Amino acid sequence: MAAASEGSSGGEVGGVYQHHAQREVCASRAKYREGRRPRAVKVYTINLESRYLLIQGVPALGVMKELVEQFALYGTIEEYNPLDDYPAEEFTEVYLIKFQKIQSARVAKRKLDERSFFGSLLHVCYAPEFETVQETREKLQDRRKYIAKVTCCKDQLQVKKQNLNTCFKKTFQPDAPAFHTPEVATNTWNLPTYVPDPQQSPCYKLPLRNTASVSKECCQSTLIAPQFTRDCAEASEYCSQKTPTPQSMHRGTCNIPAHCSLQRKFACDKGLNRFMPRTTQLQERKRRRDEGTKFALIGKDINNTEIIIGPRLPEVPKIDMDDESLNTSASLIRNKLKEVTHPVQAPELPAENSQTKPTVKQRRRI
Amino acid sequence: MSEKQQDLLGLGRLEYLQALVTEFQVTESSEAKEQVLANLANFAYDPKNYDYLRQLKVLDLFLDTLTEDNDTLVEFALGGLCNLCLDKINKDYILEADGVAAVINCLSCSNEETVMSAVTALMYLTTPQSRQQITALPVVECMLRFSLSANRRLSNLATIFLEDYCSPLQVEEARNLTKHTALGIPLPKN
Repeated sequence: MAAASEGSSGGEVGGVYQHHAQREVCASRAKYREGRRPRAVKVYTINLESRYLLIQGVPALGVMKELVEQFALYGTIEEYNPLDDYPAEEFTEVYLIKFQKIQSARVAKRKLDERSFFGSLLHVCYAPEFETVQETREKLQDRRKYIAKVTCCKDQLQVKKQNLNTCFKKTFQPDAPAFHTPEVATNTWNLPTYVPDPQQSPCYKLPLRNTASVSKECCQSTLIAPQFTRDCAEASEYCSQKTPTPQSMHRGTCNIPAHCSLQRKFACDKGLNRFMPRTTQLQERKRRRDEGTKFALIGKDINNTEIIIGPRLPEVPKIDMDDESLNTSASLIRNKLKEVTHPVQAPELPAENSQTKPTVKQRRRI
Repeated sequence: MSEKQQDLLGLGRLEYLQALVTEFQVTESSEAKEQVLANLANFAYDPKNYDYLRQLKVLDLFLDTLTEDNDTLVEFALGGLCNLCLDKINKDYILEADGVAAVINCLSCSNEETVMSAVTALMYLTTPQSRQQITALPVVECMLRFSLSANRRLSNLATIFLEDYCSPLQVEEARNLTKHTALGIPLPKN
């Protein structure tokens, strides 16, 4: 039953237009013509339209403000005034409203004509006779522009299509000639899907891969934050534990900041969202400082700091990384850099030896 | 889904317009004819309908109706032409069918709306090729008279025609001509 009714209704949709169309449509058309506007069989041209609307049948109750508010719903009103001399029915007033745009006037007329307003029916009509020559000129030009825009869009669709295709050829030809099959060329709507991914992603992956190969295993998964922190920790481990030749050490220092900046981006994004009370911040900072000195001490047994005095690296700002392991590795790296550039202070030396091993363990635990 | 619906609507629109055209050709009632023609002319306002209207040869229908005796029919047909003549394809078609001459003939109509539609249509039909025919001396002369009309809408249109579509020389020539002749096309009645 349900299926049958569905079927019939589906048939009707087509059917009204296909088979019963003429009778149905004729009947409705006749009704429409006789019923809705018995007097006025009217053809609207651009000559008849206007930004000026004449509103008749406004009850003389001092409701100009309300009337203007009502019309202002449909667009900016440039001017409005009562037309005292205009012949009006008793106890009603006539108003003239000038919209900024003709489209507003159109909508306002459609919405408010024959609407009840304070107990009286409004009659809204265009009033092009109030236009100046210039206003009429602009109106005609706007219509010209509108038609040009609408029809040109249709015509230029094909031209654009072609342009697009040539554009694609320019950019992508070396990579993938397969994308320029005639099917694609004729189908505009599929084109945008080719723009973003398949071609370009390799392009921006490439530099990353390059850096990865340069800095070896320690930054292979730069884009995945959690893994990255571990890698970073490892990297720092390498830096501190390997007995580096000056060369490899130099390379290490060059690569690490690159990670840091990447890492910082991730961490900042996370950290910005989080509020931390100042006391906690201070504690955290102290903890970090302590930790930092610890790690600084670890690195101390590498004694070639004096040898590597390369170009001074940009100082990494101390930022709360939001994640303990990130903080740890960040401070580790920071201290490493500090250590590389500044000679280690003497007074901290005694405590250092006893702490070396446990700190290494701590770091591993993280 | 929406595309299907649009297709259906598109089909419906074409069918509907076809029904209008058929009724216009078949009916004996002049009242129905007027109503149907008004309907078609209003459809001609929206560029979305241009394809259908061309398909149904409504441009020819409008052009043919310009020579009818019924003033209202002429008014509506010219309104329809005025509505669709900005589109390039339509414009070329009308120019090709010598629509300019037919429209110029309507400048002497007594119906104001018809005359105003004619003035606007002439402006919209102006191309480098049609300019000479549209700004012929009798037309410019006519526009000069219209520009003095008490009807603000008509005088505005005529002024624009003279200022934007005619050369000062043409206007001057027409002005001199009107000075010397007592004859002229009567102003349209209100």
